[in-house]
Amino acid sequence: MPQAGRDGSATPMIVEDWDALTFRVNRAAYRSPDVFAQERENIWMRTWLYLGHESEIAEPNDFKVRTLAGRPLIFCRDTAGEVHAWLNSCPHRGTVLCRESEGSNKLFQCFYHAWTFRNNGDVAAIPDDAAYEGSEGLRESMKLRSVPRLEIHEGYVFVSFNPDVPPLLEYLGDAADYMTMIEQQHVGGMTTTPGVQLYSVRGNWKLAVENAMDGYHFSPTHNTFVGYLRESGFAVTDDDQYAYNLGNGHGLLVLTGHGGRISMIWEPRFGADEKVRTEEHRKEMLERLGEKRTHYVADESHILFVFPNLLLFDIEGLSIRQLEPVSAGQTDVRAWQLVPRNEDPAARALRMKTVVSFVGPGGLATPDDIEAYEAVQRGIEATAGDPRTGLDYSDMSRGMVDEVKGVQGRSIDEGAMRGFWRHWVGAVGIDGGLQVGGERPAAFLEGRDVR
Amino acid sequence: MTSVDEYGVVTVAGRNVSRAQVEDFLYVEADLLDAWQLDDWLALFVDGARYEIPTTDYRGWSLHEGGSFVDDDYDLLRARVKRLKSRKAHAENPHSRTHRLISNVRAFAHEDDALRVTASFIVHRARDGQFDTYVGRYEHLLVPTDEGLRFRLRRSILTHEALPPGARLSFIL
Repeated sequence: MPQAGRDGSATPMIVEDWDALTFRVNRAAYRSPDVFAQERENIWMRTWLYLGHESEIAEPNDFKVRTLAGRPLIFCRDTAGEVHAWLNSCPHRGTVLCRESEGSNKLFQCFYHAWTFRNNGDVAAIPDDAAYEGSEGLRESMKLRSVPRLEIHEGYVFVSFNPDVPPLLEYLGDAADYMTMIEQQHVGGMTTTPGVQLYSVRGNWKLAVENAMDGYHFSPTHNTFVGYLRESGFAVTDDDQYAYNLGNGHGLLVLTGHGGRISMIWEPRFGADEKVRTEEHRKEMLERLGEKRTHYVADESHILFVFPNLLLFDIEGLSIRQLEPVSAGQTDVRAWQLVPRNEDPAARALRMKTVVSFVGPGGLATPDDIEAYEAVQRGIEATAGDPRTGLDYSDMSRGMVDEVKGVQGRSIDEGAMRGFWRHWVGAVGIDGGLQVGGERPAAFLEGRDVR
Repeated sequence: MTSVDEYGVVTVAGRNVSRAQVEDFLYVEADLLDAWQLDDWLALFVDGARYEIPTTDYRGWSLHEGGSFVDDDYDLLRARVKRLKSRKAHAENPHSRTHRLISNVRAFAHEDDALRVTASFIVHRARDGQFDTYVGRYEHLLVPTDEGLRFRLRRSILTHEALPPGARLSFIL
């Protein structure tokens, strides 16, 4: 294995060896400002990015202000009901146009020179525009600047700064159906709620992706949470839990021994009333979806990663997590709870309590994940620029011995992480980024029939 | 009592509670938390009490309907304390060093049997070479008991627009 430089530029980012059955990631990938700049340019500016959920701007004129890939945006529904993503920057001089974080407005007025825009992007007013030659042409050229592409799948709004990006459904591939499965859980579909967890971690964004695709950490990292579940009468196992690469860098963990699921798999800590609700909901699902689809929708927990910035936790309850890298060593995180639109208030209260008891910076589990990202980010300083061969690499070889035999990878292996990194190294476009030794298996296992 | 002493006294359930008593209760609580004496801290809650931290976008909705940072009923509160006492609560092993300042304390009668207490807090936290500051206000419901004041609801509301980098809520805020 070649020697790692401080910025990793002279060395492969990924070294996979099919004779030794090892997979190693250069730690400069988490640490280097140069790699971060290349990611911005070659991933975040080129691919689809999750912006937000349609239900966040449910009514005409609703808006949210949100930074994506470092760019300030206005995510809004115009007066006619159409969803837009505008650059939050006045076309005149570039001033931040909307300085509220959310609200409802037909017009956005720049405070600096009072240029005013409709929420469909049209110029509403330019004060004293007789001073310009050809004011009609000026108005036409000074419309709000949009993010070039916006498409919606099952209420999830994606945008791309790349006008030539392929259609969203083509990009999502097999990941799209797992989003549909969430929408199918309840008649009337799902909605986000107020109460957004906004926090920030001192760690690279890819550590958050790895952590979500890594069942191996669950038992040691979440020892205290597993203990709490066990005391409440629910056994947690690592059996029958699998990891899938869905292509295009998307990944999936399928968990069936992980915990109960509100309204779908009852467990004692959910209480007697919830048991009745769960049984009734099961009957309704069987009628609506049939036995096979109900099984995949209801009985499995899914953790879905949509490359590069969306994580969907379909576990005890549902959360949407968005990653917004700020620098190589810092990631802003936003998390929304996703709930059935028409939910019994008691079930909703149980859902909120249960979800928050696990996820988020105040939960009983997520803080230990954050501790892990931050401890890795600090710890990898120890090997930065170490002249000894191979030391500045992290190991993700677990389960390759099965992968080479064509055996389905378990969630407690590292196959979903390898799928992510293989896609990443191609997308980020570092010359000589991938070094492959030995003979790669003809195809990696992907997907499965859940329809 | 003189008229001066009566200023700031709230009467609930037939008991007079002064602002000084409320302040002492909050100061004692802050000391217990800074010293990580969590069993003694848990004893400041009546059975069935709650501990809540709304998200930073909070505008008054019920935490039973939407997201939050902490939405602990009494069972979860006990589970949280048990967790934080474990060496396997990695996010708090080693413990954060915290230092709490409390001011702007006010008390009001709430229904027949409780006090609504509001106060400002600044909690400083040192860990991992970083120093974080959490600023906000408390909106507690306290009940007078034979053993002194006790929490029925302990709620910390952050003033931040978002939690700053690294500033997780793994300890008691």
